[in-house]
Amino acid sequence: MGSIILNAVSVSVYEDEHSSPKALLQDVSLELTEQRIAVIGANGSGKSTLLRLLNGLVPPSQGTVTVDGADTVAEARKVRSQVGFVFTDPLSQLVMPTGREDVELSLRRSVKNRKERATRAESVLERFGLLPLADQSIYELSGGERQLLALAAVLAVNPAVLVLDEPSTLLDLRNRELLRRTLADLEQQIILSTHDLELALEAERVLVVDGGRIVFDGGASDAVEHYRALCSAVVEAPGPRNHPQNQVQAP
Amino acid sequence: MRRRGVLIPYYVRGNSVVHRTPLWLKFLLVAACGLASFLIVDWLVSAVVLAIMCALFLLSGAGFKRLIRAVWLVTPLLAAVGAFQWWQLGGPVAARIVLNVLVCVVAASVLTATTPVQALLDGVVALSKPFRRFGADPERFALTIAIMLRSIPFIAGAFSDVRDSARARGLERNPRALVLPVFITTVAYARQTGDALAARGLGEAEDSPVD
Repeated sequence: MGSIILNAVSVSVYEDEHSSPKALLQDVSLELTEQRIAVIGANGSGKSTLLRLLNGLVPPSQGTVTVDGADTVAEARKVRSQVGFVFTDPLSQLVMPTGREDVELSLRRSVKNRKERATRAESVLERFGLLPLADQSIYELSGGERQLLALAAVLAVNPAVLVLDEPSTLLDLRNRELLRRTLADLEQQIILSTHDLELALEAERVLVVDGGRIVFDGGASDAVEHYRALCSAVVEAPGPRNHPQNQVQAP
Repeated sequence: MRRRGVLIPYYVRGNSVVHRTPLWLKFLLVAACGLASFLIVDWLVSAVVLAIMCALFLLSGAGFKRLIRAVWLVTPLLAAVGAFQWWQLGGPVAARIVLNVLVCVVAASVLTATTPVQALLDGVVALSKPFRRFGADPERFALTIAIMLRSIPFIAGAFSDVRDSARARGLERNPRALVLPVFITTVAYARQTGDALAARGLGEAEDSPVD
């Protein structure tokens, strides 16, 4: 695998035809080569937009994004075959009624023979310990099982890069641990956004996003410290919520 | 999240005669039932065909509960249609129309309960291959069917969730409180599904080259 390069990327949206564009991400230039990269930041800071750029789900308004030399807009299909994407809510990602069928759906393009497809799907499910649940409705699975299934469906086509948008947000502690261990065993390059700072601390490189800009890029512990300081500064700053008049007085 | 209602039963593993029947024959059965609903004019004939379809469903081993669940969700709609037709055209016509719709629902249920979705999709791909010369993409046809099978129970479930929310706020008689959230939920679901399909590279044009 080469690298993912973002060159002077900005993403803007128009809320209506009369308004000026709202910047979701501003002037981001990065080269992502590390095996484990985490993106942290507040809600609405631009984390998801940054991740969605990486497999062409969001096109840049300015600049370019390339994955191993392939442009995410001009060569979207090639990029998507290399970059797997896992969403926060696995139910929005799982298209078929059961896990087996969903993994088989992932393989439809690459494996035309039905029997071979079934065998491949079975081995993917077995690898993730999901074979006993393969024929259950996706609604009968726990949150952790669904997230693992979404991961299995994406990994079935063996992408070189795995992008995960807040994969542990909807999971309880046990399932977070299960997900963390599963990710640790993968050979793919992993880029994930998260609010789970323990998960972020395991990354080789952490990006802190705030207001659509990368405000810190470096080692995990320094990045988490920077993010904590940023959050403290926002909470302590005078604002509607923190204004003395709005604070509840003790009786 | 509440488990979504199931209008069309999912595949039930088995080795019955119906399971082993070739897919083309099952497709033909569903198509014939759809056509028959326009041709049958006697409600007694409709009742006999419905009985045969129910017998086929039970013969597959999919079970009585699944059969009831499959028809249960259309019952309110059929009751309304039946009452209107009875008022306009009389009892026999109303019975024929309701029974014919039920024949189609049960025939479709026989197909989906005894055919794995992947086999169904392969069948759709094979059936739509002749249309390739007109620019159609058979895989997209199949994906459309898959999305439809997934979306119907989702929308039914979304309606149940919204109805519960409206009831909790005392708004169960307000049609806007029922329809608008279902509409918004459905649009959001469609966007999420589109994103998920795009992220997985599903539904892209077959002839797009992979460099």
